[in-house]
Amino acid sequence: MATTEVQAPEAPGDGALQRQALRLRQLDTRARVRAVVVVVLLAFCLFPMPSILSLYYVGAMTQVTVYAIVALGLGVLVGRVGLVSLGQAAVLAMGAWVAARVLFATSLPYPLVLLIAGLVTMVLGTLVGLPALRMRGLYLALITLMLAGAISVVLATTNFPNGGGGFLGYNGNAVHTPPIRRPGIANSDPAFLRYSIVVAILMFLFVVWHLRTRPGRAWAAIRQSEASAVAAGINIVRYKLWAFALASFVTGVAGGLLAGADRYLYSIDFQTQDSITLLAVVLMGGIYSIWGAVIAALLLQLLPQLLNSWGVSPYWLTVLFGVGVLQVLTTAPAGIVDQMPRDLARLGRLLARPFRQAHPTGPAGGAQ
Amino acid sequence: MPSWQNFQPFLVIGLALGGVYALSGVGMVVLYRATGVLNLSFGAVGAMGALIAWQAINSWGLPQGIAWLICVAFAAVLTTLYGLVFGAALAKRDPVVKAVATLGLALILLGVMDLLWTTSGGASRSLTLPTDSSGFQISSLTVDWTQVISLGLGVALTFFTAIFLRVTRLGTAMRAMANDREITAMLGVPVTRVLAAAWFGCGVLAGVAGLLLADLVALDATTLTFLVISSLAAALIGQLRSIAVTFIAAIVIGVVDSMITPINSITNYRDMTPFVLAVIALLVLSGRSTVSLERGGI
Amino acid sequence: MSKHVPLLGRSIAVLAVTIGAIAAVVFSTSGGVASAHKVVARTASSTSSCGPKPGHKATGKPIPVGAIDTKVPGTDFSDIENMEGAYFACVNANGGVKGHPIKLYALTEQITPASVSADAKKLVQTDHVVAVSGSSSIIECSVDYKYWQQQGYKVIADGIAPECYSTPNYADANMGPRFSSDGAAQYVESIPGVKKIVFDQSNVPGTAYNEGGIPPIAKLKGLPVQADTDNVPISNGDSVAERLVQEAGSTGAVVLNFTPPEALIILQAAQKLGIAANVKAWACSTPCDTDFLASSLGSVWNNKLFVNAELTPPDPTHTPTMNLYEAILKQYGKDVSGGIGSFSQMGFVDGEILVHALNNVKGAYTKKAVNKAIENVHQFNTGMLCAPWTYGPYKLHIANHIDYTVTPNNGKMVIKQGCTKISAADPLMEAYYKAIGQ
Repeated sequence: MATTEVQAPEAPGDGALQRQALRLRQLDTRARVRAVVVVVLLAFCLFPMPSILSLYYVGAMTQVTVYAIVALGLGVLVGRVGLVSLGQAAVLAMGAWVAARVLFATSLPYPLVLLIAGLVTMVLGTLVGLPALRMRGLYLALITLMLAGAISVVLATTNFPNGGGGFLGYNGNAVHTPPIRRPGIANSDPAFLRYSIVVAILMFLFVVWHLRTRPGRAWAAIRQSEASAVAAGINIVRYKLWAFALASFVTGVAGGLLAGADRYLYSIDFQTQDSITLLAVVLMGGIYSIWGAVIAALLLQLLPQLLNSWGVSPYWLTVLFGVGVLQVLTTAPAGIVDQMPRDLARLGRLLARPFRQAHPTGPAGGAQ
Repeated sequence: MPSWQNFQPFLVIGLALGGVYALSGVGMVVLYRATGVLNLSFGAVGAMGALIAWQAINSWGLPQGIAWLICVAFAAVLTTLYGLVFGAALAKRDPVVKAVATLGLALILLGVMDLLWTTSGGASRSLTLPTDSSGFQISSLTVDWTQVISLGLGVALTFFTAIFLRVTRLGTAMRAMANDREITAMLGVPVTRVLAAAWFGCGVLAGVAGLLLADLVALDATTLTFLVISSLAAALIGQLRSIAVTFIAAIVIGVVDSMITPINSITNYRDMTPFVLAVIALLVLSGRSTVSLERGGI
Repeated sequence: MSKHVPLLGRSIAVLAVTIGAIAAVVFSTSGGVASAHKVVARTASSTSSCGPKPGHKATGKPIPVGAIDTKVPGTDFSDIENMEGAYFACVNANGGVKGHPIKLYALTEQITPASVSADAKKLVQTDHVVAVSGSSSIIECSVDYKYWQQQGYKVIADGIAPECYSTPNYADANMGPRFSSDGAAQYVESIPGVKKIVFDQSNVPGTAYNEGGIPPIAKLKGLPVQADTDNVPISNGDSVAERLVQEAGSTGAVVLNFTPPEALIILQAAQKLGIAANVKAWACSTPCDTDFLASSLGSVWNNKLFVNAELTPPDPTHTPTMNLYEAILKQYGKDVSGGIGSFSQMGFVDGEILVHALNNVKGAYTKKAVNKAIENVHQFNTGMLCAPWTYGPYKLHIANHIDYTVTPNNGKMVIKQGCTKISAADPLMEAYYKAIGQ
């Protein structure tokens, strides 16, 4: 923060008040600037970007959008409530399954299908969370790992719906698999990217709304100290379930988007390792900020496509994510979204030092 | 439904596999009790050791015994190094954090294994132990020595560990540290050395289990890394506390998994066995809800 | 948090990665990590016969060609496109296609529909390829068949999914799991004394399609069929082998359709348990046709395991084409880690077919002209297949429908039965025979 001129106080405390008011106005300005930047970025992503990018990267950015929503859900669970889930890939699979089944079986409008996918996944996710919430954090993480494994085994046998009949909707004899349909207004790849971005914005707003109101405060209290939260009259089980429900809902909606993005779904894409990699990138992106979810999705879906187009082996990413997990857990719990600006600022100060030393600016100098 | 006669070979196969799960499960429980770390990279470390042993035998032409020693030594050294560096750095954190950190190590090892030992061109590697080819007959069944060793080691390890923890000084120190690290340190127990011993022991077990599983199951990085989940299920059923229950659970998981194989209606779901058993056990055994006093999560 | 901890953490991370990198370098320079499989060229055959002007490098406008192969741990088909690239390198060094070099865009995908369709779009939009040859993927045909149809490409692939064999825009150098399993079943049912067929395959999408041809073929001899699936990766090969042997009984035959590592697990388990001889015969679809497998199996499998071979076995064959294949592998095939085997053979065949088509293009190498030439490939003798290969203007393509049966003989695969047509008892095969007028 820059130092400011302070006029001679007329009464004790006035100067402090004035300084405080000034600081608040500066915060306001910073928040306003940030808001403008966000809106401009989103407008760019929504309007020109899908038309500029090649279809290769349009596809990659659609995946980024879908997984940003998933990362958002997981980030809320881990960062805001302190519940580690090692099974979000299975939850995503559930959402995709429900969406695919409904899309093939009915001709309901796409937004309704997304809602259905989200709600069903929410119910299933909450059911899973219900018994597990009685246990300590480590057991919860391990149960989610176990359940994710169980679901991937079931999926390998039931497969994803592909236009067949019956409850499972899987036709094993199909020689021409029909693609999953997309919304009428968003059939082309760039149009679907825009559609996904809109849905993502809605999901982000939905989550932010939760964080700013009562559940968000309750979660913060629970994460700080469960005992104090109980003492303050917060129903821990209810709020933990609420967190599970929220995370499952947004992940279910993301699953619905994934069904439309991929158009063909395969059980091999939702393995245990995918849940673990998801947690790794969410940690690396930053669990205490919703923008960390975007960074996590970029790491998970854009980076591999970049490496693919450069001919670099994708296995390097597995190593990177492992190193990232260790780094985040030992030294930088707030992840890249927090570390990067600070590192950049430090780099900036480092680079500016020779200039500052050449032109010292008064008694305060540049010291901060 | 096959007859009892036809089920018998599956029982033997399941016991052998269960024995190795017990080996891994007990190793993880002991480490957890001593250090508070649930070592989810157990499988990955063993897998890499097994692949190095394969490399030693097939590419460097070393004799089998030396290759196995390299495998176990690699696993032990890597695990101990991890324990000393990251175990120490994360010592005061939540058990979840410590477990997730081991997942980080597992990912690193997985990536390295995929880079170094590619699977292109239909390449398939296998590790066979000399005990595979000799065995004996029990009625119509052929039981080979590898299976006997697997089960035997599992049993032996369980007994040895139980006795070790109760009788020796090092074992008592480990139990004390599991109880309360601060007080143990104040009592003059060399904490770092005890920790290093616990990690070292875990690493040795990982190497041995890696060799046995590479022989019994497959020499494949991903398979072996995630096979740890079956042992983890056993450890969970033992509530990360009881070695005896872990052992029994491991055997049960191995046997049930194997016995389901010939039942065609559910055979494709047999890979769910560890999960289903662990979830049931956890739900039944977990009892009252607990409220933690500390800051939760990451 | 104290200041030195972040520094400590980051230094450790850097150290770990550095050690890993050094290890990788050490390993890769110490004589190859991945395979103990060495490429042995039998004669110092020159590679110059691959192109029209030996010794002359092609310097004209490059002809862009694309390929998409699966590459994930455990399922890696990139040898196919890498071998095709080696073939093109040879052609380019010896005159090219009428002076034009071929530029191969060899992409990989991770069995996700997103990466598969993104790769296809990249090839068309960014790389502007005029042909697609050498694609081999678990899901590419299913995900991209409509796109290739819209864009007007006639793809030369090595397919697995049903769409690779049932759409107008794919023709394959290989036979695919369904017809290769048919071939394996056809052979074992001709063994006297076989009274039952037990079929087992990996539980990946498409199992009903893969096993669909076996019951009608077994019906020819009145044999009952038991069709199983097993999740892969197989985590208890012993149990699976035991179950298969029990199901088949002493008069049964076991037919497997797995990738080589999984098939090896089952076969080695049967060998270890001493139950390999408890059934009348074992058979395998074409993935088992590798020297890796043959050298890992004991002598109990000689004349006991019969593998359907879609490609001419290299070892007993000494034709000029086979010699050329091995010479190209030795000189240009550094990326082909599997060495001699069906994967690199398929890549070679794909390259051959494409170059043959390109040589028939009159005028500019546009997408339209090139793909018309590919469609017009008729009775082309690849020197690696049982019969000449045809694309043709048909609604479906099962171009490779005649195959060998091989059996291991002390570490190598040898021919047990010569070229045999896949039976028309399989209704899909019948549909193809009708389409081509047979």
